[in-house]
Amino acid sequence: MTARNATDWEKAPAMPAGHFVSGRVYTDDAVFADEKARIFGKIWHLACHESEVPNAYDFRAVDYAGIPLIVVRGRDGMVRTFINVCSHRGAKIVNEPSGNAKRFTCFYHLWSYDDRGACIDIPRAEGYAQSGLRKEDAGLRAVRTEIHLGLVFITLDDNAAPLADFLDGALTAFDDVLGRGDLEVFHYHSAVLDANWKAWQETNLDIYHEFMHVLLRRTQLTAGRMDERAVTLYRNAHALSSGLKAKYENYAGMQARPDALTLPGIAPDDFFYVNLFPNASLLARGTVIRIDTVTPIDARRCLVEWRGLAPRGEPGAARLLRMRHHNQYWGPFGRNVPEDAFAVEACEKGFAGGGAAFQIIAREENMSAQDDGMLRAWYAEWARRMDRLPGDPVRREGEGS
Amino acid sequence: MTVVPNELRELVHRSCFALDREDFSEFLSYCAPSFEYRISAYSPEIRKPMIWFDQDYGGLESMFDMVSQHLKRLGTLFRHPSMGIIDRVSDTEMKIVTSVLIVDTDPNGRSKLFAAARYTDTIDLSGTAPRLTARFVNLETRDLGVGSHIPL
Repeated sequence: MTARNATDWEKAPAMPAGHFVSGRVYTDDAVFADEKARIFGKIWHLACHESEVPNAYDFRAVDYAGIPLIVVRGRDGMVRTFINVCSHRGAKIVNEPSGNAKRFTCFYHLWSYDDRGACIDIPRAEGYAQSGLRKEDAGLRAVRTEIHLGLVFITLDDNAAPLADFLDGALTAFDDVLGRGDLEVFHYHSAVLDANWKAWQETNLDIYHEFMHVLLRRTQLTAGRMDERAVTLYRNAHALSSGLKAKYENYAGMQARPDALTLPGIAPDDFFYVNLFPNASLLARGTVIRIDTVTPIDARRCLVEWRGLAPRGEPGAARLLRMRHHNQYWGPFGRNVPEDAFAVEACEKGFAGGGAAFQIIAREENMSAQDDGMLRAWYAEWARRMDRLPGDPVRREGEGS
Repeated sequence: MTVVPNELRELVHRSCFALDREDFSEFLSYCAPSFEYRISAYSPEIRKPMIWFDQDYGGLESMFDMVSQHLKRLGTLFRHPSMGIIDRVSDTEMKIVTSVLIVDTDPNGRSKLFAAARYTDTIDLSGTAPRLTARFVNLETRDLGVGSHIPL
């Protein structure tokens, strides 16, 4: 057998369910609509880091799957989130990505809101006397917000279980690196990629793809042992990948990470990361932390946001070196992240027009080495929430073929 | 040595054309051994200036040696420099600020704007030919899509 004919190409791979994913998960409009409602309408999403709103009245405007949100630190120090649209005509209120404001005034008819989302002013409010509209009933839509290890999470679901239940301890590995010390975001960049949002998350779930990066072939595949790697799965398909090492000096122009810059609870050559279902990844690599989140714009485009964290107020020389460590891998001119983005867009080209039928996630190595277990767990959780089969997503679970 | 603006303009343009062709040896031939290169941007999201890339001459040389082994964006980047302000810092040093539009052309010949930026070049005039001692690239564009493996 060499190349396959059309029938064979479209046939589900001869392997256990859960070991392959249909291309329709990326392209089917009904699947995407369900994802917005059943996944993005329900999960806890990592919206930003607490340091992005350090002071009273600081705000941070973010987009979440097409919904504008505003994260605000109130006069009482509490961080709250609101949908960033006016109760009157639905216009987006705050257009700056960040700032400090005691009130948010819609440009359109000058309705104003305070730091707790209350409507505090409606010009010529007497005009609503007959219809009974009162500003007390015209507050912004509050979005549940919780903070863990300085990470600000939001959910659109008023009835969602608490954040701690959702996380199920998956961020315990970050207790030291995020929890011991005062950190701030020093790096932020974002990109709209021409790809379904899941394809980005898959790059973080698929450790086998380290072969794609010459940087990782030189620094990672030469360090540590494959059998020392381990994946720990948590409820809700969160996953910790640990036991990886890096020999930075194996790549020309890079140096071993110095002890003095190493983050708490981690060795200079350590690398571990946690993927939070469905769309966030936190990576700790000796001296730097990367957080990335992906949210859909539509079925074919996604917004990826990358943040780098460092100790607040560290000396300038230390910060410059830490920035360099971050940028060598993860900046927009880095040796790692641009290649991931390239791969994600290449997969979209494969699946968008139906050229590719399935992707295979069938590596089994005892949840070590380059096992695809994180991908399988992720798609099992996707299936549970979507009531669809990843291998045949147009059909609901339990429906006949 | 007397350097007239045309020679400076030519240096900036030649450095851009060398990068367009990914002729890194030629690019480095326009740089002094003390050359510093940096790409920065301001983030209104976190309200901080950011450095996204910084290398000295040796660091660039090492990086250029590895470029061919990386998975790179397809197509070409063409830099369109528009010289702006030229300041003489001393008898042997000038600074030039250049606005640059960088156009991305894919393998099918479709072009789109990749980035808008401004170069601040420092040029040493003490030798037989002018040499870049620093290029600081300040990006206006912050969404660079898949990014880039080579300097702007």
